[in-house]
Amino acid sequence: MGVDNAQREELRQKFVALAESGDPAIRRELVEAHLGLAEYLARRFSHRGEPVDDLVQVSSMALLKAVDRFDPGRGVEFSTYATHTIAGELKRHFRDKGWAVRAPRRMQELYLTLGDSIGRLSQELGRSPTIAELAAETRVSEEEVLEALEAGQAYRLASLDAPAPGEDEGETLASHLGDEDPRMSAAEERATLSPLIEALPPRQQLILHLRFFEGLTQLEIAGRLGISQMHVSRLLARSLAELRTAAEQG
Amino acid sequence: MPGSDEVRLSAPATTELPRLARLTASGLACRLGFSYDEVEDLRLAIDELCFSLIGTQGRPGVVHLMFSLDDETLQVEGTLESGERGPDPVHSGLSRKILEALVDEHEVRRNGQDQLTFWMRKRRLPIAG
Repeated sequence: MGVDNAQREELRQKFVALAESGDPAIRRELVEAHLGLAEYLARRFSHRGEPVDDLVQVSSMALLKAVDRFDPGRGVEFSTYATHTIAGELKRHFRDKGWAVRAPRRMQELYLTLGDSIGRLSQELGRSPTIAELAAETRVSEEEVLEALEAGQAYRLASLDAPAPGEDEGETLASHLGDEDPRMSAAEERATLSPLIEALPPRQQLILHLRFFEGLTQLEIAGRLGISQMHVSRLLARSLAELRTAAEQG
Repeated sequence: MPGSDEVRLSAPATTELPRLARLTASGLACRLGFSYDEVEDLRLAIDELCFSLIGTQGRPGVVHLMFSLDDETLQVEGTLESGERGPDPVHSGLSRKILEALVDEHEVRRNGQDQLTFWMRKRRLPIAG
């Protein structure tokens, strides 16, 4: 990563200072100094069919963990320690967050490509693209697009409920709606219709509320929450499947 | 229905049914120029409607599906023929609310002694730009 001795010593001093003070500014500086390493390692795993952005997120979180846990007194270079930690997290990501049902590899890749295309075309067109437009954009047939969307049903991310970067981890339906929301009746209606919804994670509750009680489209929800439309689709499909299972058990 | 197409399918009322229905419905919706958003809504609606007939575990019997389309509207009807009086269809207030947001019209009903039926209609929005 092209770090000379002087820089290495400077970094080491910063780790010592962080260990002593816990100063968040130093922590941030150290994280930023190694983001390139996190991205480099994420890209080394990018041929496995997961979006690079997701992998960079995983490795950046692992970098944070590495910075917090690194002990400068042990005589190991941080880059060595961080590489080990980040690669471990990336491998775990692939082990834990794969496909629930085996879909043909080509369909998995197409599904992931479609996620990017949907985002790009929606922005360009100012509306949700048609299946024909998606097929043209990804240079496959319309049937293949549909098959990939169907295959995507089998795709599960264990991090589905995790907040996207920059989102407040403690975000709840109530905090999103705010106390002064004039449409609390929708929330009341939701609570009356199904207490089962309350058992879902807050993020899924929020998306269900926006789609079915506030009438937002998937595209609008994606824009509002800063996540991909495909992610909204997956969360909705999963939430409804969970509600159906819960309804049968109840 | 002049100028319309119909597709009919019959399949066992097993857990494989929703996938078959989703694929057929989305393929036909694609011919009508439905957007990704609309196709995803349609897929969710089909899941919910199949659930109303066969639950999450499937039921004994056969489901007859009929898809019909004209220039901008897709209609899907599903009938479970169980040969015996089974449980009532699952169509809670929440389910109704969900389907109201996903499709233009829908209905779930008992149809005689041994049949449960769902019906839905979804119209594509005019494509802007």
